[in-house]
Amino acid sequence: MDLFFEQLINGVALGSLYALFGLGFGIVFATLGILNAAQGTYASWAAIVALAAAEHYKLPFIPALLTGVVAAGVIALLVDQVAFQPLRRRGKDMLGALITSIACWIILDSLAGTATGHNSLSFPRGTYPSTMYHLGTIPLPVMQIITIAAMVAVTVGLHVLIRHTRFGAAMRAVGWDQTAASLGGVNPRYVVIITAFIAGSTSGLAGVLGGITTHNVSFMLGEGLMLKGFAAVVVGGYDDVRGTALAGVALGVLEVMTSQYLSSGLRDGITYALLLGFLLLRPRGLFGSLTYSRA
Amino acid sequence: MGTSVRLGPWVFATLAAFAFQTTPALAQGLTPGEYKIGFITENTGPIAQAGQSFWAGAQLAVEDIKSSKYIGASSIVLDPKESGSDAARSIQAMNQFIADRSVIATACCILSPVAGSLKPVVLAAKVPLVIYGATAAGLPQPPWIYSMTILPGPKDTATALLVSDAIKPKTAAYILAADNDAFKGRMAPTQKALEAKGIATAGVVSVLTKDTDFTAAATQAMGLKPDVVLVYATQQAAAGAISALRDRGFTKTIIGNDVLGPEAIYKKMGATVVGIPFPVGFSDTIGVSAEGKSFVNAYKAKFKVSPDSYSAQGYQMVWFVAQGLKSISGTPTRESLSAALAKLEKFDHNVYGGEFMKEGQAQTTGTIVVNWSADGKLVPWTAPK
Repeated sequence: MDLFFEQLINGVALGSLYALFGLGFGIVFATLGILNAAQGTYASWAAIVALAAAEHYKLPFIPALLTGVVAAGVIALLVDQVAFQPLRRRGKDMLGALITSIACWIILDSLAGTATGHNSLSFPRGTYPSTMYHLGTIPLPVMQIITIAAMVAVTVGLHVLIRHTRFGAAMRAVGWDQTAASLGGVNPRYVVIITAFIAGSTSGLAGVLGGITTHNVSFMLGEGLMLKGFAAVVVGGYDDVRGTALAGVALGVLEVMTSQYLSSGLRDGITYALLLGFLLLRPRGLFGSLTYSRA
Repeated sequence: MGTSVRLGPWVFATLAAFAFQTTPALAQGLTPGEYKIGFITENTGPIAQAGQSFWAGAQLAVEDIKSSKYIGASSIVLDPKESGSDAARSIQAMNQFIADRSVIATACCILSPVAGSLKPVVLAAKVPLVIYGATAAGLPQPPWIYSMTILPGPKDTATALLVSDAIKPKTAAYILAADNDAFKGRMAPTQKALEAKGIATAGVVSVLTKDTDFTAAATQAMGLKPDVVLVYATQQAAAGAISALRDRGFTKTIIGNDVLGPEAIYKKMGATVVGIPFPVGFSDTIGVSAEGKSFVNAYKAKFKVSPDSYSAQGYQMVWFVAQGLKSISGTPTRESLSAALAKLEKFDHNVYGGEFMKEGQAQTTGTIVVNWSADGKLVPWTAPK
């Protein structure tokens, strides 16, 4: 039974990474109307920048983490303004934005590969907390606690921001119709810029925490998060952060339990079968609103 | 007498002219020129750390062959095309090499499935291929396909037996890259050998090569309560699995494999990899031959890092092709080079101090079992006291 609970915690921690990444991905989709293929590279770059901050500039854990998170936000903002804003101005549809985002993904991925020498790096021990706590007989690494806590905090924070603040109302208005939002007194450009930054930093947080816990800081880091984060958004419903968080955690648990009790070979198959099932049977996801029309 | 006096100079001149014309033909040697090896590199992608070592070793060999005039006035040039360890890109690169008639031989592949996918392509096109890193059995097929990879399977088994004799485990768990046939093939004989010694298999935990999170796999392996864990996975997966085991507090013996050899792995893993035994085909500090020392010094001077097993394999791969070229008279073709390579059993240049070729597969004798020391050096493994 201990093993089951250990794996359950592992699954929740892994799922928290998917959820965190998915939150950023989902916000971009719901508010900016972009299926952003470059979102994974924000996670990779966040981890690379945080590693550089910790290793070369000897920043402690929290400042290094924040450096990576802010860097991802800034990159996301730049990508949005350089690549997506001109499309927005010309009224291009989602396909144009998707193709542009693929180009950004390839460029940022190549640059990340060059920055890491195409190697897989890792945070040196001592640059992040490594205490092992015990819940009875079950070991609980502090990084897993931090990851789960970060996911909960970000989910609650984003939910409050989107549902209970004026800026959140503006985000939803822009996501619904930019012209109508501007007629209502909202500055869409301002909302887009802030949203891009929040989305980039949220995915960046997943990247830094993932880079630390998996000992893998490379240009490929974001790719793994990208597909699982996308699945979390689809299963959870892209216009409700609670759904994304719940679905991300569920995917992590499902993945770990499949490996433990069935086969690691079936793991991805089951995840994507679930994704396909939701797309067919409940395309609005767990928490998605019935009236949302962007899909 | 008078006639013979008149004929003598003519006979002498005729014989001399005949000798002058025929002697060069008998010892004509390789026609001077630049001979191109199409090199499918893996300097990017999931196993770039190994790929860069192979590529660096090959580059050094080209320079050494030229400076030593091993093939006279001729030289070898490498034509790199990057595959990122992707089979489709490798096939595309190989097709370009096949179309380029100036390419006399080709080299490729760390991943066995990629090498396997190229095999029918080169056999159909009849171009010599020298594999520098893939380890699956059955890849070589003379006269067209050779492997300069020092097969790690027997060394894995020798290492596991050596370590087991020292630490006397009762049970062993295995972490296996289940999507890699080469590692499956390497694990099976070791598992059999350990079971024959009474070391029960506690279980096999499967991971996938592209996995990045190994926490669950480590938990699963530790749940089997083994006395020793043997890791059969590619570089990134092995590093991830070992890190996850240590992170979760597994303090018992872990036996690694040759993928832990490159210096980049120590830089990445640091203290986590210290003390973990694994076999290497070549070490820059242990049991190095005179030629090996020369290689190590030149490599350090050029690349500012120590060579690893992969560097040595890349280096030997180019020397192998050079030796084939050297044995050819006149202008070599892909066909004459393949025939020449098929005849090679011993190597003129040998950084291992005992490498030979058998049925298209390079082999060495003996096993060097090492571990990383706390100060980042490869040292002979000794049993913990």
